[in-house]
Amino acid sequence: MQFLTPFGFFLAALAVPILLLYMLKLRRKQVQVSSTFLWVQLLREQQANAPWQKLKRNLLLILQLLILAALVIAYARPAIQIPTVASGSVIVLLDGSASMSAVDVSPSRFEEARRSIQALIDGLSSASSMTLILVADSPQTLISAETDKTLLRQVVNNAHVTQGPADWQSAFALAAGVARGNQGNATIVVVSDGGLPEEGLPAVPGDVRFLPIGTANDNFAISAMALRPNEEGPQLFIEVSNFSDVDRSILLSIYANDELLDARQMQLQAGASESFTLDQLSKSSSIYKAQLSHPEGADDLDLLALDNTAYAVYESAASRRVLLVSNGNLFLEQLLASLPGIQPFRALPAEDGSLQIPNDPFDLYIFDGQIPAELPEANLLFINPSTNPLFNVGAMHNEFNNVRVNEGALTRFVDWSGVHILEARTVQTPSWAAALIESDSGPLVFAGETDGQRIAAVTFDLRQSDLPLQIAYPILFSNLIDYLAPPSAFDSLTSLSPGDALSLLRPPDAGRIVIASPSDQAYSLAAEQTTFTQTHELGFYAVNFLTQDSTRVQYFAVNLFDADESNIRPRELIQIGQETVTPSTSQQVGQRELWKWLIALALLVLMIEWQVYHRRPLPVRIPART
Amino acid sequence: MLFDESTLRKLNQLTLVAARVRAGAIKGERRSSRRGSSVEFADYRDYTPGDDLRRLDWNIYARLDRPFIKLLEEEEDLAVHILIDGSQSMNWGDGEAHKFNYARRLAAGLGAVALSAGDVVTVGFLRGGAVAAEYGPSRGQPSLPRLFQYLEGLEPGGTTDLNRSLREYSIRPRRAGLLILISDLLTAEGYETGLRQLQGRGHDAALIHVLAPDELDPPLAGDLQLVDIETEHGQDVSLDVGLRDLYRARARAWIQSTQLNCRSQGVRYQSAVTNHPWDQILLLRMRQAGIVK
Repeated sequence: MQFLTPFGFFLAALAVPILLLYMLKLRRKQVQVSSTFLWVQLLREQQANAPWQKLKRNLLLILQLLILAALVIAYARPAIQIPTVASGSVIVLLDGSASMSAVDVSPSRFEEARRSIQALIDGLSSASSMTLILVADSPQTLISAETDKTLLRQVVNNAHVTQGPADWQSAFALAAGVARGNQGNATIVVVSDGGLPEEGLPAVPGDVRFLPIGTANDNFAISAMALRPNEEGPQLFIEVSNFSDVDRSILLSIYANDELLDARQMQLQAGASESFTLDQLSKSSSIYKAQLSHPEGADDLDLLALDNTAYAVYESAASRRVLLVSNGNLFLEQLLASLPGIQPFRALPAEDGSLQIPNDPFDLYIFDGQIPAELPEANLLFINPSTNPLFNVGAMHNEFNNVRVNEGALTRFVDWSGVHILEARTVQTPSWAAALIESDSGPLVFAGETDGQRIAAVTFDLRQSDLPLQIAYPILFSNLIDYLAPPSAFDSLTSLSPGDALSLLRPPDAGRIVIASPSDQAYSLAAEQTTFTQTHELGFYAVNFLTQDSTRVQYFAVNLFDADESNIRPRELIQIGQETVTPSTSQQVGQRELWKWLIALALLVLMIEWQVYHRRPLPVRIPART
Repeated sequence: MLFDESTLRKLNQLTLVAARVRAGAIKGERRSSRRGSSVEFADYRDYTPGDDLRRLDWNIYARLDRPFIKLLEEEEDLAVHILIDGSQSMNWGDGEAHKFNYARRLAAGLGAVALSAGDVVTVGFLRGGAVAAEYGPSRGQPSLPRLFQYLEGLEPGGTTDLNRSLREYSIRPRRAGLLILISDLLTAEGYETGLRQLQGRGHDAALIHVLAPDELDPPLAGDLQLVDIETEHGQDVSLDVGLRDLYRARARAWIQSTQLNCRSQGVRYQSAVTNHPWDQILLLRMRQAGIVK
């Protein structure tokens, strides 16, 4: 026991005024009575418990002195020394990786880690400070060199476990930086279940202590899941690993768009992995989900649930299917063949001129002079169109005065100066469209959206102009086709790890991009922003490309697929630099201050004193004798 | 004013009812409403001031030069001794509740009843362990004003030693009769041996225990020094609710034990708390207790 502000005991002198006041108060008032005969008798009977009577008479004084004593001692800040893991300048590296969600210790490893840090905070002496670093996919300094224990506890309570891996290299580099700032006197405390790399962690100045968390290693994981496009349809590859010490059988269920596709029971040896592939899956866009579960249907398969589910996304739009309906147009066919990411198809009218459109859905239909009786509900490009349900077309004209190109995303780099046209159809620009290139007689090229369809039209026959011979031709048509059949903004096939950034190719027409996370949180991507980094949740994300009239959705998946995290076996030792760190015991001396208890005691005694005071009736003056 | 108008009126009423009320109910059988009408001689006795002069035996007086009263067959008078405790502790209480005044009024009332009935009344004033003053023996209604005068002249003070006072009263030869002690009994020495001595002399003893209400339930609280007005002895008391309750219980127990003690000694006991009207005590309570009839 020691006192941090011993001069506080001088306040004990306050007892003197209390005693003085009490003595003054105790000068008894004289009251005449007819006889003390009965009083003497009564008090003689009471003599048997006289000491208690005397004490009772002075009870208030004793209680008041007790309150003063408690307050004075509290002010002197008594502290007892308790053993603790670290003191002085403490840097805590709190493991916030996915494996800390394991529930082998109740309620979870992360909670246990929080508890041990709280104990560490309790044991901090008043001069000690603590820096808290949460080790996640990127280490965060939660609080730096703080001595206020309340603040520290609050920060620890607000720390959250992540679903991703931990970047120990960066964390140690950060800790080393903080430690050097303290001239190397810092103690670094690693609170972790041991998912640290076996080697390669940098040496840090100061002591390193290790508080291991966790007791068991019973865990299964989907350690890999990937899709590969193939001629016959995509291939799905799945690998399942058993990180526990026992052979177990588990149930693997695979869903495509939430419909059960395949389920199999797998017998997994301890520490072994097993993989298989599923072939000839549907060519349409799908979200595949693989899930491990207990074969007997029990709720808990293993200790870590995060890695029991994995997702893979197949996006058919990886190659855009374009149907050209034409009598034969060499310019267009060559152009489609040369554009990247385009899978061109061609439909010819029958002998009798009737038009048969294949039932397969296409991303884009190009009608070159031909109009089917019924327009498909898809994006359409009309070339030299006749009247159709979307807009009216008039007669041919050949007056092209004042041809102008309206600046925009679709006409960027289009140089129309050398283009000559023989004749074009007279068209009024529809209200839903904007003219891209127009003359005084009407639009030559226009584009727009109506009812969720993107429509573009070139009002003249390409063969009646020298456009195909100009530089403007591939640029304009590439723009139009990218607009009508947007290329994939990113590679959906590759799944990301938590914390990885997603690179987006912003489509030229995309207005707003909103990304919905697996927990349905929406992130809006600012204009010109091409990376998305909020990929901390496991599951699949929906990327919504919002334009004025339509929405396009593309998905990507974030999976753990990290053997270091899935292997939740608690580590006995960690290797840092050349040093092997074993679990720490409490070697240093910390302080626990006791003033709170004393204040509580003082309050309690104060309440008792109040009660005692009110049980005594106020003095009543006896009327003066006449 | 001890005998104010209302008190006197009450005393007058007492004398009026004295025909029916008499001290010393124990000898009630000798009561006669046709006093002196008998002709059968029984005895002589000494004249005392206040006796009806018509009964004086003039012949005897002429022969012996001493006054004697003829007692006729049916008539037997009673000696009534009224002893008032005059210690300082009796000098307590406010207004009507003043103990000594109350005691004097009781004495006057008893005296009035007795005199009206033709009994011989002696009043003793006990103070400082002695009989400080004495009135009587006197007889007959005409003595009443003098009795009042005597009572009015009494002044309480000093300490009480009832045993000694009563013994002193018993030493002097007196006619045995009804002896009524009016006291608060607030004395450490007690009263029992004195009373017993008087009983030994043939007196029929009664005790009127006069107490002020604040002696039974003191309106006091806090840290006090209680000063006895009689002995000037100081007693420190820290009065809280508990101790006050204890005192009340103690006072009740004391009264009860006194009453029991009296009953066992053949002393008729009547407690009189001074907030009750004294004439009611006299007419109702004391009749119930058998002190008057």
